[in-house]
Amino acid sequence: MASSSNAKHKRIAEEEEEEEEETLEELEGFDDFTLASSWERFISEIEAICRVWMVDGPKNLVEKGAECLGSQKKLYKVKSEMKHGTKLYSIEYYFCVSNKGKASFWDDDLHDLQLSFGVSDFMVIAPLSASGVVLDAPESTKLLSSVAIALTNCGSGVVLDAPESTKLLSSVAIALTNCGSNWPAFVPVHDPSRKAYIGIQNLGLIFTRRFDADRIGSQVPIRLMHLEGLYELFISKFALYSVDFSASFFKVQFAMKLTYRSPPYESDDEIDSVDPEVNESKGDIVSSNHIKTQWDDDCPWTEWYSAEDPIRGFELVAIWSGRMFESSLEMAELENASSFDAEKWLLCPIIFPFMMDDSTWMFVGFASQIRLLVSALDMSFEAQFLDDFVSAENPASDKSKSSTAIPPPTVLDRVLKEIFHDGGHNSHLVERDNKHSRAIKGAPLESLFAQFCLHSLWFGGCNIRAIASLWIEFVREVRWCWEESQPLPKMPSDSTIDLSTCLIHQKLQMLAICIEKKNSSHDTHNSTESVDHTPSGKKVDAEADPFKEPVKDENGSYLRSYSHQDSEPSTSSSFKHHDYSVRSPDLQKVDQVRKGSAGVVGSMMLLHSYQKMHAPYTQDAPIMTEDMHEERLHAVEVFGDAFSFSGQLERDILSSDMSAFKAANPDAVFEDFIRWHSPGDWENDDTEGCAGDGNNWPPRGKLSQRMSERGNLWRQIWNDSPPLPVLEQKPLLDPIREGEKILHYLETLKPHQLLEQMVCTAFRASADILNQTIYGDFKPMKTRFNQLYITLASTLKPLQANHLREKAELIGDLRRLCLVFEHIEKLLIFAASIHRKLLDVPRLSEAMFSDYFNFYLPKMGTSLESICYDQEFKTKQLVMMHERDAVAILFPPPTANQSWRKVLSMGNLLNGHEPILREIIFSINDRVEDSHYGSSIPMATTEEIQTHRMYIQGTSNDLWVALSVTSWD
Amino acid sequence: MYSSSLSQPEFDYLFKLLMIGDSGVGKSSLLLRFTSDSFEDLSPTIGVDFKLKMVTLGGKKLRLAIWDTAGQERFRTLTSSYYRGAQGIIMVYDVTRRDTFTNLSDVWAKEIDLYSTNQDCIKMLVGNKVDKENERVVTKKEGIDFAREYGCLFLECSAKTRVNVEQCFEELVLKVCYD
Repeated sequence: MASSSNAKHKRIAEEEEEEEEETLEELEGFDDFTLASSWERFISEIEAICRVWMVDGPKNLVEKGAECLGSQKKLYKVKSEMKHGTKLYSIEYYFCVSNKGKASFWDDDLHDLQLSFGVSDFMVIAPLSASGVVLDAPESTKLLSSVAIALTNCGSGVVLDAPESTKLLSSVAIALTNCGSNWPAFVPVHDPSRKAYIGIQNLGLIFTRRFDADRIGSQVPIRLMHLEGLYELFISKFALYSVDFSASFFKVQFAMKLTYRSPPYESDDEIDSVDPEVNESKGDIVSSNHIKTQWDDDCPWTEWYSAEDPIRGFELVAIWSGRMFESSLEMAELENASSFDAEKWLLCPIIFPFMMDDSTWMFVGFASQIRLLVSALDMSFEAQFLDDFVSAENPASDKSKSSTAIPPPTVLDRVLKEIFHDGGHNSHLVERDNKHSRAIKGAPLESLFAQFCLHSLWFGGCNIRAIASLWIEFVREVRWCWEESQPLPKMPSDSTIDLSTCLIHQKLQMLAICIEKKNSSHDTHNSTESVDHTPSGKKVDAEADPFKEPVKDENGSYLRSYSHQDSEPSTSSSFKHHDYSVRSPDLQKVDQVRKGSAGVVGSMMLLHSYQKMHAPYTQDAPIMTEDMHEERLHAVEVFGDAFSFSGQLERDILSSDMSAFKAANPDAVFEDFIRWHSPGDWENDDTEGCAGDGNNWPPRGKLSQRMSERGNLWRQIWNDSPPLPVLEQKPLLDPIREGEKILHYLETLKPHQLLEQMVCTAFRASADILNQTIYGDFKPMKTRFNQLYITLASTLKPLQANHLREKAELIGDLRRLCLVFEHIEKLLIFAASIHRKLLDVPRLSEAMFSDYFNFYLPKMGTSLESICYDQEFKTKQLVMMHERDAVAILFPPPTANQSWRKVLSMGNLLNGHEPILREIIFSINDRVEDSHYGSSIPMATTEEIQTHRMYIQGTSNDLWVALSVTSWD
Repeated sequence: MYSSSLSQPEFDYLFKLLMIGDSGVGKSSLLLRFTSDSFEDLSPTIGVDFKLKMVTLGGKKLRLAIWDTAGQERFRTLTSSYYRGAQGIIMVYDVTRRDTFTNLSDVWAKEIDLYSTNQDCIKMLVGNKVDKENERVVTKKEGIDFAREYGCLFLECSAKTRVNVEQCFEELVLKVCYD
């Protein structure tokens, strides 16, 4: 108990105050002679307030702005203040709007007093806190010190001792009777931690209900730890009243609510995993001595960070309701009953606070790191070159403090090695083509640049200097690959460039292709020589083909897979071609000069020579990155508005095709080329036009009007194109030149250009990683995640546009985006956690997720200010009968190690766990005979009323009892 | 040069339009009719052609950059780059050649899905050569049905007789403007 000396102080203070009150009364008394004393005035004041409230009724009070309590919007509160002597009192009226009458016993939304005394609407009168106490007389200053001492001992409220509160309560009771109200009224007694109350309620004219509650904070008698003892306590309470009950056995109604809390998941590792330092880089987590496996070990994000488990555990509420008991023996029996016998199970996750707190240091994940990256982007505008950030004498780095340190070379080496060599994720390279993800202009998840971005997020706290140093080393490594003609790791090897990705990724794709071409052109050199030596190029073809990809020749060119109805399937063409030439020895002469053929084109015959038409190998259309396309478009825009423009590049391609066609078909004429290349421009005269039919030879047809006009550009190009197979042609794309250009780009990249692309890629890659999380079928999560992608795409769009907007605005947008991302990331981690914890009861996990989702939803605005919740997530889900076994697994029997710590004192164990809280309601109903006052009482004659009710709430070391007794006055 | 036009724009908006469709359906002729109101037999486009046209619409000066692509397959890999950022795509077919119509769904609609980077790009279906009414094999209803299925604007026109050519571009630009 609080020290008795304090109590004494308090007593003294109050006595002194009372004295003063009297002196004040004398002064004020002459204002109003109609009232005998200030006490009576006080009562009439209360009465006045109550009358106002009664007249208004709940509906109007709500409209007038009554404060809503609880999440279900059932309970409201209005408040008023009044002065009695020098003291201020608050008078509060709590009322229910919907669900009139008594709510179920165990409604979570119930106010403490409702729960304890079984009332619905009620009033509380209490002296106001110190700040509200107005002491105006000069003498009161001397009291202040003593009052202050008393107040500091009891928190904010002014403490009433028993006699004073009785006085207060009786004033209220009188006031309420005067206005004919039957609201119960409560007055707190002692200090608030004791939760002691007294209360009174008029029930019509005959009955009065009295309320009383108090708490034992420690050293609860063992007898009162058990149901049997508590039952006897209740019995003793009404046995005291010499009520006219007929017999000694009472039908005691009983209801009980037990709350269990699941044991913490990693009690020993907690301190380790909270430490943010550990999360700083992926390697540290691995190397730190975490022997225990993390909860998220197999979640997709664990490669990068380890998330705090958002679910600390579960609270299970088991409810026994509406039983009748007649003896204490039965109670003892019940105490041994398994919690599986309870009528109702409710489950609620205990959420770790970081889920609700948006303070930046609270949550370490992709969102937090990308936020750092955005800050780095903000700084990146300060310098022209990335090297400026690394060199120490740069003014930009002067500002930098320890937070912008560059990790030591060993760490740098390790990270580089991871980027370039580790991770056999190549199987993932062909990504699940997520349309949403593609809309974000970044590099695909498993690609080299995306890996660079992800690593830099966790590299040295992701500051601009660390990023710059990592980038410089990264480019150095890329150059090494180029110079040594080593294939670039983690780059897809198909020869197209995905223009929806960021420019750096496109450049790297292009570089990978250039490296490949560089290597093969080196090979080609040898094979070209051999062609020269052999009289028949055909033989080389035949020899080479089986060892090559059938579709692809040495130059990396592709056989065109035209969809003409008369072309052969390209994959098998080389072999068929070979077979064919063997069977037709009469064509030997032609074959000897034929070069670069990729096979015959179906049954098409050359117009003049009646030879089979051969499709040539052609050069690939040159690949281009985005900036090259743009350059070209600009060039065309500048020069191209003249009549009949065609790009030089397109002409080169056409010319190259014509040369190759000429080489493959030495006797071909322009018409043959058109028949193959642009069949629409060859008009057959006869309808069938079957070229293979010997009778119709030569096919009667002609070029289309537009193709046969004088000065036709196609024919000009045809005339100018020499017969040359692709191997001998000048390549459309010079790999050496292009490769060097790319490296130049990478080496001279402006810091902000790098950072912009990193931000996009980091967002995209992180979202893609998180999106792989398995969390069951939580629809709102899926929807939200897709929305996230869309938000990311639209917000990041201006980032790589050529013209930058206002920088501050951009950074602000990105910071907001980080917050949005964090919300989704947290929700997703929560979803994953609850999914895996309740794997066997998907219905339950889904319901809990959507409860939590709805609870979290208001936070998800996109404003930069975070909304902090003061309320806790408490929504419980009903556990179905068949789900109980799966839920009970959450409460594994304690190990020997754990169980010695606790002395079990309560019954009803669940897998060896005792409840953390036990709440019991005993009550006795009685049929009321209204013999006393005739029929004027409001209740019907046969109505049952609750004569005694006791609410008991206890843990293993404290006990709180609230009693309400109805009596005849 | 282009930078000078950027620094002092003589127009309020710049729109990028793209024309696609099989070889010989008359894309270049349509464009020529629209930009210089003339009609002649043109050489087949090699790769890509490009025209600029200033139009005034609702008091606003619009600069249209219209890219005219070649229909030949060989150029298809190249033309992919012109889809980028196009705000309007005109799919042209020849009402006298059914294959040019069927290729729209078999080939060209897929190309759009593949290469168009602009989610809100407006598509327009244009049936050309309605002057050859007696040779017509694709009915107007078929065109309408296709347009409905793919969510495009639809118009039939003739580059030769000028019927509907202006309307075709204007309607597309209007839709791009107000979408």
